[in-house]
Parts: sequence; structure tokens; C-alpha cells
Amino acid sequence: MMEFEGEFESDLPRDELWNYFTDPDVLADCAPGTDSIELESPHEVTATISVGVGSVKPTFDVEMVVTRADRPELLEMQADGSASRNAFDAVAEMDLREGDDGGTVAQWTARTDVSGMIASLGQRALGSVTDKLVTDFFEDLEATAREGDPAESKLEAKPDAEASLED
Amino acid sequence: MKPAPFEYHRPTTVAEAAEVLADREDAELLAGNQSLGIVMANRLATPDHLVDLNAVEDLDYVAERADGDAVAVGAMTTHRTIERSDLLAERVPMLPEAAEQIAGPSVRNRGTLGGSVGEADPAGNYPAALLALDATLELVSADGEREVPVSDYFVAYMFTDLGEDEIIAAARIPTDPFPPARTGMAFLELKPAAQTWPTVSAATAVRVDDPDADAPVVEEALLALANAADVPLRVEDAEAAVEDEPLSAAALDAAAAAATEAADPEGEMHADREFKEEVAGEYARRSLALSYDRATNGETDVNVPTDE
Repeated sequence: MMEFEGEFESDLPRDELWNYFTDPDVLADCAPGTDSIELESPHEVTATISVGVGSVKPTFDVEMVVTRADRPELLEMQADGSASRNAFDAVAEMDLREGDDGGTVAQWTARTDVSGMIASLGQRALGSVTDKLVTDFFEDLEATAREGDPAESKLEAKPDAEASLED
Repeated sequence: MKPAPFEYHRPTTVAEAAEVLADREDAELLAGNQSLGIVMANRLATPDHLVDLNAVEDLDYVAERADGDAVAVGAMTTHRTIERSDLLAERVPMLPEAAEQIAGPSVRNRGTLGGSVGEADPAGNYPAALLALDATLELVSADGEREVPVSDYFVAYMFTDLGEDEIIAAARIPTDPFPPARTGMAFLELKPAAQTWPTVSAATAVRVDDPDADAPVVEEALLALANAADVPLRVEDAEAAVEDEPLSAAALDAAAAAATEAADPEGEMHADREFKEEVAGEYARRSLALSYDRATNGETDVNVPTDE
């Protein structure tokens, strides 16, 4: 299992950012490598995402379930992705705290099991790339919010869901 | 194994290559093919389109730029050409020294500067060398041209600022900071065998005030390490440790300590993390000492450590 974590600060209020974090269309635009995204139900999203390292860019079919959504402070998701010769299973959590001057501090953590080619890259290589991708995602999402593009919160937690990495 | 099916493109100009890239999803650029073909044959990379740059002759050159303050190396220039370039030997000797130590002769005959910089393996020779030289990358796309300082280009492990539809056209090295009469450069690798990737490498340039003085003062020192972090690593604390005074054993000790401190390497089969940190320090020391020795025509009292 690998664990990654990071922090992102914004001067936008968390209540406003929340709508962007829970709008699948915004996620599709901002999440790096997202080719398509479908809202299957209020708590489930499927997507195809191409991410990788160097020329190795597996296209993952991803199923994501929202396991906790406490507006405007906590979002937790479980995702599993499969691609040719690669797979991952992940639990990601994001805590939105109120920062100074009404801004937001987003702290994120992700626990993941990875198998296949990308696993052989090792935690440090993947951590390095994960940081970059997550930072890009937050920056794009914040820019979208700053431009005032409308966003509609469409995701909610699946009832009685509990996130865990499958054994 | 054989690669998954792909469509092959062989443009003959940079503009044509940029067009091909802009018009197609999921395309990979092919330079000297010392990495990509293997990855594709194992079906780890499965691009729909392969854009072979080997017929783009405009990208194969080593030249002084018209305004005379820079030397440029085209992206499709092979290691062998760089190794043998008289212009580079005179103006930027670190690059030929880096090129001649890459893998074996067959790789050096085919592999290119642009391929190495595009692949962005933090163990690669050119990424560290170009970072130490404060070089700028010239990029081309269908939308036009863009320049990125090498210091901003390497973002994460094998991850760069290069856009999906951009092509590396050249690396431009400023020559004003490196007057040949007062400058020494070195590229030193530690590796278990000639054909393998290095454990750690150090790229350095040192400029002194007066090579004929009794104790020439280091005006400027530049140091970058390869394979000592997720990206090529510039170590400014080590540079500062040797600047503004004649090179001394104490200053080299401080520089070595700074390099060990800055290094954040990943352990490997034959070199654990702690060993690589130590090597980073030791090779920073050797490389700085050798550069100073070369800058002062070997007429100093600094003891240059060697492998012999």
C-alpha cells in the first residue's frame, strides 16, 4: 500500500469550492487525463482516465463511489481503476478547513494499492507524479471557480458506505 | 513481443511534425529510439500514432547562435555528434564529456539530446548537464514557439512542462558565463558498468577571476546532480560554499556536505539511499575540484581526487 498526502490553499470560501469539487462536469474538465466522465447515480461516477509516467500512459476505466460527503468540510471517495496490465484501488479523503480571510485550506490524503507496470515505478516516482497531478487539478478547479463558471453540486454520499481498500 | 498496432508518420520538417502532432490524439514522438521501442514492444506504451523525427534534418545541428552569446544543440543531434563537436569541446566541454559516457557505442550512434530531455529520466546525463549550464529549451508546436528554462522544465519523475503537442527543437546554452580561458567544466559519473545508468552523476562548471594568479578566486560555480532526486537536482548551497574565494579543502568539504544534504535519492538494487547520498557529496566534491583544476590549467595546489 502507498500513501500520499498534500495541501492546497485558496482564498475562495470552501462553501463555494464545494460545488466545484462535487460537480462531475467540473471534475471532467479539471482532473488530469480525463477522457470522459459519467454520473451513474448521485453517489457513483464512472470515468476513463489516461495517466502515466513518461510514454507509459495506461487508460483506466475508473469507478468511483462517494463514501462520505459532509458539506462543506469533508469529501471521501473510493475508486478502483483497471487498465491493460495495470490496476489500482484507492481511498481518497479531502478535508476543507476555513483558512485566513475566509479562504480555504484543503488537505488531501490518498491510500492506494497499485498493481502492474505502474507499481514497479515505486512510491517515490508515483508520489512525485501524484503531487504534480493533484496540484494541477486544484489549480484548474480554482481557476474555474474564480472565473465564475457555474457549478452544481451533484454528488452525495452513498448511504451506509464505508471506504476500505479491498484485501 | 510485438508492439500494438500504430500508425507511422515520418515528417521531414519541424512544421510538418508539429502539424501531425496537433492533428492526432495519442501520438508519441520518436527520436533515437533507445527507449520507446522497448516500452512499446512490451505493450507498456500503446500510442495510436508514432511520429518519427529522424527525417527532420533541421533538428540535427550544433551551432553558435547569430548574436554570439549562446551555443545551440538541435534536439535530433546524436550523442556521438555531441561527443565529437569541436565547437562544444571549446565552448561547453561538459556536454561532450557527458555524451561520451552514455551507455555504449551503438546507443551513442542513435540516441539524441532531445530524446534524453524528452524522456526526462532523472538519471540521464543531459538533464543534469543542461541544468548545471543554465540552458533554455526551445519548443515548437503548431501554435508557435515557446521557451522554457531547464530549471522550470523538469517537474516530477519523468514528468515535464512539455505540452502534449510540443516538440523539443533545441537546447540553448548561454556562453557569456563560460569564457573558455577562465572556465573549467566536468561531468563525472559513478556507475557499476559502462552500459548501465549511473548511480549518481555530477555536472559542474567553475569560472575563476584569473587562472594565472597564485590563488585564483572562484567567481561562479554551478552544480547539478543526476539520479539524486526525482528530477535533476541543482545544489545552490554547494555552489555558494566554494564561491568568492580560492578553492580550498574546507570549501569542498562544505560543498560535499551540502550536496549530501540536498540529495533525496531513491534506493536501488546495488545502491541504497544512504550510499547514494554519500556518493552525491563525494562526486560533487570531485567534480568541483576537477572543474577548478581545468579552469586554472592544473596549476593549483588543490588535490584533485581521481578514481585511479
